Amino acid sequence: MNTERHQVSDKEMYVFDTRGYLVVRGALSLTEVDEANAALNAKMDQAVTLDAGSLSGGAEKLGGVTGRTQLSRMLGWEPKYRAPFRRLLVHPVVVSRLNAFTGRGFRLDHGPLLISGRKGAEGHRLHGAGEPFSQSVWYHQQNGRIFCRGITVAWQLADCGPGDGGFVIVPGSHKTREPTPDGVRTLDDDMGLVEQPVMAAGDVLFFAETATHGTLPWTADHERRSVLYKYAARGAARAVGKHFTPEERFGAWTNELTAEQQAVLYGPGVHHGGRLPLLESDGETAWVSNQPK
Amino acid sequence: MDAKERYYWDLTGHLVVRNVLSQDEIDEVTHALDSVSQGIREGRPGRGSQGSDALDGAPARWYSGENLLNLPHPHCEPFRKLLAHPQVVSRLNVMCGSGFRLDHGPQYNNALPGAEGLTLHGQGEPHGEWVAYHHQNGKPYCGGVTVTWNFTDCPEGQGGFAAVPGSHKSKFRMPRGVRMCDDDMGAVVNPDIRAGDALFFMDGAQTHGSFPWRNSWERKSVLYKYASRTSCRTGVASQISAPEVYWDAATVADMTDEERAVMYGPCSSPRSDGPYLTVAEDGVVTLKNPEAGR
Repeated sequence: MNTERHQVSDKEMYVFDTRGYLVVRGALSLTEVDEANAALNAKMDQAVTLDAGSLSGGAEKLGGVTGRTQLSRMLGWEPKYRAPFRRLLVHPVVVSRLNAFTGRGFRLDHGPLLISGRKGAEGHRLHGAGEPFSQSVWYHQQNGRIFCRGITVAWQLADCGPGDGGFVIVPGSHKTREPTPDGVRTLDDDMGLVEQPVMAAGDVLFFAETATHGTLPWTADHERRSVLYKYAARGAARAVGKHFTPEERFGAWTNELTAEQQAVLYGPGVHHGGRLPLLESDGETAWVSNQPK
Repeated sequence: MDAKERYYWDLTGHLVVRNVLSQDEIDEVTHALDSVSQGIREGRPGRGSQGSDALDGAPARWYSGENLLNLPHPHCEPFRKLLAHPQVVSRLNVMCGSGFRLDHGPQYNNALPGAEGLTLHGQGEPHGEWVAYHHQNGKPYCGGVTVTWNFTDCPEGQGGFAAVPGSHKSKFRMPRGVRMCDDDMGAVVNPDIRAGDALFFMDGAQTHGSFPWRNSWERKSVLYKYASRTSCRTGVASQISAPEVYWDAATVADMTDEERAVMYGPCSSPRSDGPYLTVAEDGVVTLKNPEAGR
């Protein structure tokens, strides 16, 4: 057993801090990869393929003939199918790195999510950046410690060779204080900054959600398979969970409140699908400025 | 929130907005607070001052009754008005960002003449991601901001809210003498705050606490603990963070203790001494401190 894989090294800390991502090679054996793929194969009839154009956002270099295929809810499958994905949830390679990159008490915010696609599946416009500041996935380093509020762990269950497409990132972009040029997001003029890490099945990718990242169209003959676990620091929320509205959190008495008072009693998180009322004020009056769904 | 206020806030970590409430509004809240006086409990002697001579006094008093927002009518009404007060909304949209929320509270702080203070807590180091302060390209951000509404006067130097201006940016640990206020190096202030004023402070980022109450009248303050859209500290969150409550049943059914440990909902409390995972050299993942409170 390669015990070095179970501890984060100073080199890995440097790489993650400098570039915003890290690949740990050979975290899974081929047997483990096969086991996870077999479970996915048994459930692929539940997978959903998005419409072409839904993620490439009109970017010519990211377009494809289909959208991406995705599948979720693995942790709740029948025991024989969920087992490989629960092992990945607290895999020693993950625990050791997230304790260092996010801090003790890290948590799964949402996922896991299989991202798949066959040859011709479109890419995903690049998103995330250090500017404007994004509180939910804030990257911070202080006195030798890293505090990354949002970090994704992407397990590779199929090879991503040179030119195959799939995950891309702008190294260092988690620290930028300048707006991202549109040409970088679309790859129309990426200035040589965008990188596609070459990964093999069994490798695991960690990336700061703050870093500018996305996906190239899939060009390989084999199917893309990457399973993403979206972790967060213990006090950070991206998904809103089951208890989001004032009534769900505090009880029916909140129905007596005005819309403005209710607005500040919603739960934490940014993935609310437009359900969150937002307040404005001129100092004399406060009002809900949007029309939540 | 004008440029002067933004400057003061960024520099010091707190801000007093004067005369927000009229005397009628102060009286209305005071009347409601008087209605819940039976819910005030005297704390254990020395609980707040922790052995500090500078902060010593009679035991502090804490309200532990029904949430003030849910008192019987009409007493709940003044507290509900303060919840999304225009003067609060205009500032928290800048301080925390759009979508700020009440994390916990409101909390009624009461003190009789001679009551002890509270040791100073909160700081820039170590970094607390859920309450930390950041400034970037002209925009401030703070994960946790408390708004304290004051219903009696707190003259400067006479007790109540105390803070270390600028400490939200410190990258050094707070010396013990500052925490205990017996060797504060002149860093601690006890600002003048009057009935009807609203105090904003960076709760958890700025070092703060309270001085012994040296006035001849009661202290009556109500604290609303707000957070940014993505920060979660305690309150309701601590009641719904258990995996079986936060997720659907199938997702967490029959999970091991180690798997459950990463399935809690967002909640900063308890902190570093709470349950956490470690990895042994042989790759075995183990849950440490499992009984610590979650």
